[in-house]
Amino acid sequence: MQAAVLEKLRGIVGTPHVLTGIELSPFVVEGRTPEAAVFPGGVDEVRAVVTLAAESEVPVIAWGGGTAAAAGMPAPRPGLVLGLKRLDRVVEHEPGDLTVTVEAGRTMAALQSTLHERGQWLSLDPPDAERATIGGIVATNASGPRRHLYGTARDLLIGVTVVTADGALVRGGGKVVKNVAGYDLPKLFVGSCGTLGVIVELTVKLRPRPDDERLVVAPFDRLKDAGSAVRAVMASDLIPNALDLCDAEALRPLGMVGAPAALLVGFDGVAEQVAWQIEELKRLVQAAGGEEPRVLPSDRWPRLATAAADAFDGAGAIMRLCVLPTQVSDVMEQGSALARARGLASAWTAHAGVGVLTGALSLGGRRDDVGAVADVLRGWRGIAQAFAGYAVLDVAPLALKDAVGVWDEAGAAGRIMERIKHELDPRNVLNPGRFVGNI
Amino acid sequence: MATLTPDRKRALRTELEGILGRGAVLSDPDELLVYESDGLTLFRALADFVVFPTSAEHVSQVVKLANREGLPFVARGAGTGLSGGCLPAEGGIVLSLMRMSRVLEVDYDNQLAVVEPGLVNLHLSWKVGPKGYYYAPDPSSQQACTIGGNIANNSGGPHTLKYGVTTNHVLGLEVVMPDGEIVWLGGKTRESQGYDLVGVFVGSEGTFGIATKIVVRILKKPQAVKTVLAVFDEVDQASAAVSEIIARGLVPAAVEMIDQLTIGAVEDAFGCGYPRDAAAALLVELDGLAVGMETQAERIVAACRDAGARDVRSAKDEAERQLLWKGRKSAFGAYGRVSPAYMVMDGVIPRTKLPYVLRRVNEIVGAAGLRVGNVFHAGDGNLHPNILYDPRKPGEEARVVAAGAEIMKVCADVGGSISGEHGIGLEKADFMPFIFSAADLALMQKLKNAFNPTGLCNPGKVFPTRKSCGEAGPTAYRPHPIEEQGLAQRF
Repeated sequence: MQAAVLEKLRGIVGTPHVLTGIELSPFVVEGRTPEAAVFPGGVDEVRAVVTLAAESEVPVIAWGGGTAAAAGMPAPRPGLVLGLKRLDRVVEHEPGDLTVTVEAGRTMAALQSTLHERGQWLSLDPPDAERATIGGIVATNASGPRRHLYGTARDLLIGVTVVTADGALVRGGGKVVKNVAGYDLPKLFVGSCGTLGVIVELTVKLRPRPDDERLVVAPFDRLKDAGSAVRAVMASDLIPNALDLCDAEALRPLGMVGAPAALLVGFDGVAEQVAWQIEELKRLVQAAGGEEPRVLPSDRWPRLATAAADAFDGAGAIMRLCVLPTQVSDVMEQGSALARARGLASAWTAHAGVGVLTGALSLGGRRDDVGAVADVLRGWRGIAQAFAGYAVLDVAPLALKDAVGVWDEAGAAGRIMERIKHELDPRNVLNPGRFVGNI
Repeated sequence: MATLTPDRKRALRTELEGILGRGAVLSDPDELLVYESDGLTLFRALADFVVFPTSAEHVSQVVKLANREGLPFVARGAGTGLSGGCLPAEGGIVLSLMRMSRVLEVDYDNQLAVVEPGLVNLHLSWKVGPKGYYYAPDPSSQQACTIGGNIANNSGGPHTLKYGVTTNHVLGLEVVMPDGEIVWLGGKTRESQGYDLVGVFVGSEGTFGIATKIVVRILKKPQAVKTVLAVFDEVDQASAAVSEIIARGLVPAAVEMIDQLTIGAVEDAFGCGYPRDAAAALLVELDGLAVGMETQAERIVAACRDAGARDVRSAKDEAERQLLWKGRKSAFGAYGRVSPAYMVMDGVIPRTKLPYVLRRVNEIVGAAGLRVGNVFHAGDGNLHPNILYDPRKPGEEARVVAAGAEIMKVCADVGGSISGEHGIGLEKADFMPFIFSAADLALMQKLKNAFNPTGLCNPGKVFPTRKSCGEAGPTAYRPHPIEEQGLAQRF
């Protein structure tokens, strides 16, 4: 980066908030060091930084907690890390409105702790709450097991403020829970991975914290039976807040050794509702051939979302597959068998009730055998496609990303996405080259 | 706006009949008249053609023809919209989707259905009801309005407080793009990669294309439902009760408020059991598991009493519950008892601002020398003030329109929105700057350009910078035909 540009950045955010050289080591992604990292202290500074970067033709990479920094295809060239950690205030929390407006750089844990003080919570539970920021979670559309009942960021985000590629400050949506004025811009930014604008502030819907909540596990001897139990639970009167399925490998990091598969079900509500549902679940599980369900300690909740990845030391590759709920156990079985046939171990979890699976592939001693590993991942994607779904390679070494591709076929929808990108960021300033369809 | 010569119009009619078959094209002014407005009869505009496609391929061919001719086009469902959103504001072709009304597929195990856009909202719940499922978004015109129209407007309803609005229930769309290309956005899976194109399409008021297949979620019917009526001597107490309920950690399925004027009208018309002397009543509905329902109902009762309710009671059986809901849902029709005409407003405010805003609404309407009835979704702060007036009195309608604009301004000023469910359409295009800056609108325009670069797909809507609206413009109130038939009320 030109010294003059660097000097201007220091002028905008202050010298202590511009990192260069060796200070950039925490921001090295896939072996690539950014040109600099800047940490604006307010929205106007974000605008000035984006405007300067656009003029200087330096890509801007919005950075929250860095938990998804390697998501997407590798960056084609180094850029400017725009860190949002200094924008971490709760702007407005009016408990009676069940909404909160918060700056993008606040961590999920810090936000939840503010809300808990007033008996409320944001019903979104992605992993890494201590590090992941609310802006990053929305930008990457991260979620956790409770999405089964409470949905994902798209269902909770009602307002968003972004700095666009031309440095403009744009607000979409609003602060009220029901709003059809104008286009639904909050939806546009959910999962957009910083390619359309830098999210600086968000307004989300909240929920009251339930009186009681329990996580229950029901081990099964056969994955297929656990899959049938998923169907039985969905067709029942139960209203679980989570309905996850794990295979044997993924159960180990949850402290359960020996069971070939298990159903993990969450319930919340008033105490008598939770108790009744656990009893009812016992009946359904028994009918499906499972073992007696038991209540797990509540500290297992955050480990559910990462159980597949945690199954192996330094898991090699993690793929997310989206299919229909009834297909989940079949996909798991086929995916696992495919890896085994290549001599590789895999671990699987699924938010079964919504049809979202995570498959982790251990490279073991085959780290250099890119061909074989890539074959397995391509096979997994093929399985998802055969079920009319798709698969995204969330985590993988560079060589595998190159060989397999991070994103699935986007088809005609991909062309619309490209047009949106071109309209909003014609000079390709915002996180270029890493998103669906090379956006 | 393109003006067609009689010869050209005849030639195009022949060509459209070639695509769609005879009996699927209207072009006589008498026939077109039926399609000159939607549920908001304030605006009227005539199309050159109204056509009735029966497939995505039909829609695509008509759209391609419109592009070739430079004719604007707009999709239309049942015409129950309340913002003029489906009017052919600049002439051209109206594509009525009422002949595409099939349920194509129901997958109960995966809790989804694939439907055509002309399917009437309630008919989907009828279809899946026998197996214990329903389609959650329940706009009060649901006996008549179509799912395609719900997509365009991101429609809500009383039960959206707990279950969300249309966008929260749509998984995928087959869309005829404004250039005629048929594409799928999303699908049957819960998420799709890349930008949330389904999310931005829903609520785009027909300006991003025409949905020809729709994948929606269907939900299991709740095991139990409980409805509570709370009666208040002060409107402020009823408003406070809404916040009290929320503060006690309860999320009812619906919280509806009905004021004294409305109660009087409803009781005159139907005798639903609301006390006439109450300043306001809240209708609170809980649903979910049978177990724990009493515990929650007790909390609702306590919250209402603490807010000053003089009477709180639960519907003792399904018949009484239905009667209470009939009062709520028929309120708009009942205004006919107390006024020759009324105009419904639609604004949203933060729930905690209810007492202040309701006072302001009364002041504004009072200052205009008019009366207002309030019946609305209090739980999510979605107001529906209904200003009563007599269209035969000169100048009265203009005062209604002016008061409506002032009410929208109040909603905007307290951090709310100018529409909760009726949409912007033609009606509120000029109010958009109340809540959006030039930069906000510029970004929306860029998004529109990505879908609809020529602007031929439903022009003149949503954005404040209007071109000449042709015949569209405020005219006197007339009840919509489906209102007269008693098929729908305004909500």
